[in-house]
Amino acid sequence: MTKKKGKLTKALDHLIHDDPFSKGVAFCPGCGLELLLRIIPRVLGNDIVITGTPSCSAPVLLGQNNRSWHTLSYFGTLMTGAAANATGLVRYYRKAGIENTVVCFNGDGTAADIGFGNLSGAAERNEPFIYICYDNEGYMNTGIQKSGTTPFGAVTSTTPHGARALRGKNVRRMNLGLQMAMHKISYAATATLSDLDDLAKKLKKAKEMKTQGFCFLHILAPCPTGWGLAPDHTIEACRRAVKTNYFPLWEAINGRIRMTRIVKKPKPVETYTRLMKKFAHLSQADLGILQDDIDYEYCVLGGLSVLESECRLALSDED
Amino acid sequence: MASNKYFKHEGPWSDANDPLMCSDTGDWRTKRPVLDKHKCIFCGFCALYCPIQIVEMKGQTHFEADLSFCKGCGICAKECPKDAIVMISEGNFKK
Repeated sequence: MTKKKGKLTKALDHLIHDDPFSKGVAFCPGCGLELLLRIIPRVLGNDIVITGTPSCSAPVLLGQNNRSWHTLSYFGTLMTGAAANATGLVRYYRKAGIENTVVCFNGDGTAADIGFGNLSGAAERNEPFIYICYDNEGYMNTGIQKSGTTPFGAVTSTTPHGARALRGKNVRRMNLGLQMAMHKISYAATATLSDLDDLAKKLKKAKEMKTQGFCFLHILAPCPTGWGLAPDHTIEACRRAVKTNYFPLWEAINGRIRMTRIVKKPKPVETYTRLMKKFAHLSQADLGILQDDIDYEYCVLGGLSVLESECRLALSDED
Repeated sequence: MASNKYFKHEGPWSDANDPLMCSDTGDWRTKRPVLDKHKCIFCGFCALYCPIQIVEMKGQTHFEADLSFCKGCGICAKECPKDAIVMISEGNFKK
């Protein structure tokens, strides 16, 4: 037997718990959500309670025909009240004196559009639970409609490309992670599937910080079906999203933003958009608008990550 | 089994005490991952990134996918740093 030269990747060390899901689960091949959903209980442990809304994850988490796909505890809620229901659950556990981790697991439709009021309210009250938004940039379960986090130019069934100067979504996306960090919650972070070591660390940190208050994780999970992405390019798309600063990785503890990965030479956004069909129609001018938007968001983020310390320094000088 | 201390049942819809539901997802596959054991450097990226988490360690030498559930997405072949995994059409295996 020849000796193997390679080393096992460190990210595997975080996956210490059992996989509570059965093996054949009804997700599309190459689904980013499936990987994320299996990773979360393997990192956090199987004694978590997941609450969730109607979404791609619901048929699997809720079960079908009175039978279950997994052995976790699940609480199905409405999209309009996702964070409010989780709040009730957390308060029950607190009153009953039960130590538990509540994970509110929602898509971007709930987090950014329908349930945003709840989310913002729960963040303002600083409720001690973990809110995870898996961002596939649209309402993928109901037939790929646009949502608040759909980027500029992306084709969805409600923002088509075609005659009468239709060129996909006409307005920019909202930056959900930054919005939540600005609530000055205990912990806010972005993560993606190409860097599972980073994702697992952030999940663990969220479980730690949850005792002090609200934790929010914004995770990019590509949808091969909705994005027109080849199923084997799911992880590659995440990687390029980070390398082009389309989805920068950062964390914010009590509102203090710190970049967890700084890309030294960011690539043009075209390296990311050319992977998928939803951006295939974009002209150079449209790509320029998208690039400007990404640069703007990154500058705001980078500014915030260094601004506070400098500002405090300036304030103390005046004394 | 999970350490489910609080609920005997999942909810009104589902019951985790019954055997878990399991689809025959291996049937969806059009291409199958085939590993070249000599090229494998035992880095574990295929096991890490497999969405179904069915690529298992075989001893200390290589990883192998459970073909009864593999959906054939090809992420393991794409992410392999040594290109040790190749996706080959199912037609070559069925007679």
